Amino acid sequence: MKINYNFSDFKIYFRDWIRTFRAKLTIVCLIGLILIPLTGNSYIIGIFNTFMIFTIFAASWDFLAGFVGQVSFGHAIFLGIAGYATAFTIKFLNFPWWLSLILGAVIAVLFGLIIGVPALRLKGPYLALGTLAMSLILYQVFLMNTLGNLWENTFPGTKLFGANGIGQIPPISQIPGISYIVIFLIMCISLIVLTHIGKSKLGTIFKSIRDDETGAKASGINTTKYKILAFMISGFFAGIAGGLYTIRLTGVNPGSFQALYSFYAIIMASIGGLATISGSALGAFFFVFLGEILRLLGDNPSISEFFGGFTEPIFIFSIILIIIIRFAEHGLLKPVLEHLQDIWDLLLGR
Amino acid sequence: MTKKFAGLTAVNDMSFEIHRGEFVGLIGPNGAGKTTIFNLISGLEKPSSGSIRFDGRDITGMRTHKIVNLGLVRTFQLVRSFKFMTLLDNINVSCLSTRGKKIAKDYGIDEYSSTILASVGLIDKARLPPVILPHGDLRKLQIGKALGTNPQLLLLDEPFSGLSHEEAVAITDLIKSLHSDGVTVFVTGHVLRELMGLVPRVIAMHQGKFIADGPPKEVANNKIVLEAYLGKGDVFAGN
Repeated sequence: MKINYNFSDFKIYFRDWIRTFRAKLTIVCLIGLILIPLTGNSYIIGIFNTFMIFTIFAASWDFLAGFVGQVSFGHAIFLGIAGYATAFTIKFLNFPWWLSLILGAVIAVLFGLIIGVPALRLKGPYLALGTLAMSLILYQVFLMNTLGNLWENTFPGTKLFGANGIGQIPPISQIPGISYIVIFLIMCISLIVLTHIGKSKLGTIFKSIRDDETGAKASGINTTKYKILAFMISGFFAGIAGGLYTIRLTGVNPGSFQALYSFYAIIMASIGGLATISGSALGAFFFVFLGEILRLLGDNPSISEFFGGFTEPIFIFSIILIIIIRFAEHGLLKPVLEHLQDIWDLLLGR
Repeated sequence: MTKKFAGLTAVNDMSFEIHRGEFVGLIGPNGAGKTTIFNLISGLEKPSSGSIRFDGRDITGMRTHKIVNLGLVRTFQLVRSFKFMTLLDNINVSCLSTRGKKIAKDYGIDEYSSTILASVGLIDKARLPPVILPHGDLRKLQIGKALGTNPQLLLLDEPFSGLSHEEAVAITDLIKSLHSDGVTVFVTGHVLRELMGLVPRVIAMHQGKFIADGPPKEVANNKIVLEAYLGKGDVFAGN
């Protein structure tokens, strides 16, 4: 398979894109994001880091579900496996962070292959169940202390399995601003690449599998090959997110494999809207910041006493997800963009 | 070009050949097994016994996309389309298949698809999604999708079902022009009249079994065919 790349096409595309309202809004948001480290507040920088990492993670899920129609409930597998690979290579093999990150993503791609092959026989809800089951298996495997002891005896001085996971991972850079910019750039590149694949001829093939798999076969498309490829692409970006998340949290534990993380990706992508990619950024923003506010409310003893467990983020987000599926099944990105454009036109007096 | 199969309950011991450049009809009442035959040939189902040969090659049990890329392409009785993609992208998918790409890449994928859209008469709707099209246009789109893969043998499953008279005429003209361009066409229908004027050779089947093969007039007057359609009795014979 060859992906032709014509740069002059890109220039024309960029020129058209820059004229749209959406492009201006994107640029304003990106400039705003770049300026965040200037606040110097490590708490705010940290939240924004999480937001950008979750954006990549949600976008990778959105790519698989929105463009290829393969709904995975086990996306945490990629997050966890790449997180472990990154943590292990940084801590015990002294790899530089970027090499570990790439290695983690490559291992996630391999897992995409491993999951993709059996998943090809599963369709719709069965695929969701199958991937969910695989993430539960990996969670239990990495949780096993016996396996952890065995590993430590076989490879002294290193750790892999066990409930404690791998800790004390150094950050990308000692200066928070540089780490922030690195994550920012990786997020931009990931979103651009995923959007571009969606618009390319490869994306056309993916969408045909989503719309009518038998029809795609009858059009001479090797759906098996393209579905595996889609799992691998999605796994790569989810793996990048997993590596960054591990570095951001300075460690990884079996919790990364929890179904909860797969669910987070689904919530974020659905809030933004399926098959939008950039909608994931909106979804992740909403998710991370509302989650943080809820957490702060929960930490406040008088409020948590009054509300009980109702400030639990997953409780609120599940309700939000139901409301969004009911009233805005195509996500919030499009309506939000339209309303902002209306306001913008109003301000300019058009 | 030979195709044979035998021994499936839906299709019972059918055996026939279609030669290069022929224009053949397959008729039979509803439930005769016409679509099953197409599913078997196109690889969507596997025959329980027997074999299917295409261009001297055994294609029995081959996967659908491989068969398509050999040049044996089908359309569906129930129209299938990529609902949320533009008509141009619908055609693009088949132009991106291994076989379609060989021709399309010289012209550019989009350009080649546009040519196909123009030839089936849908070019003015290239940017629309199929969900808003009338049934006749969807039938045209189906044929367009098949053309994207540059077919050698085209299997058309009930291309006239659910069409108005004008729409059916348009499709008929389209199929005729395809055949004159050198595509071998194998078309099914359960209404005799539409096919009779179109094809020089008809294969008739009933309840999964072969009953007649020959020019339309001969087959139409065949006693078993009439019985299959009208029930027993000689009242309608010679109609």
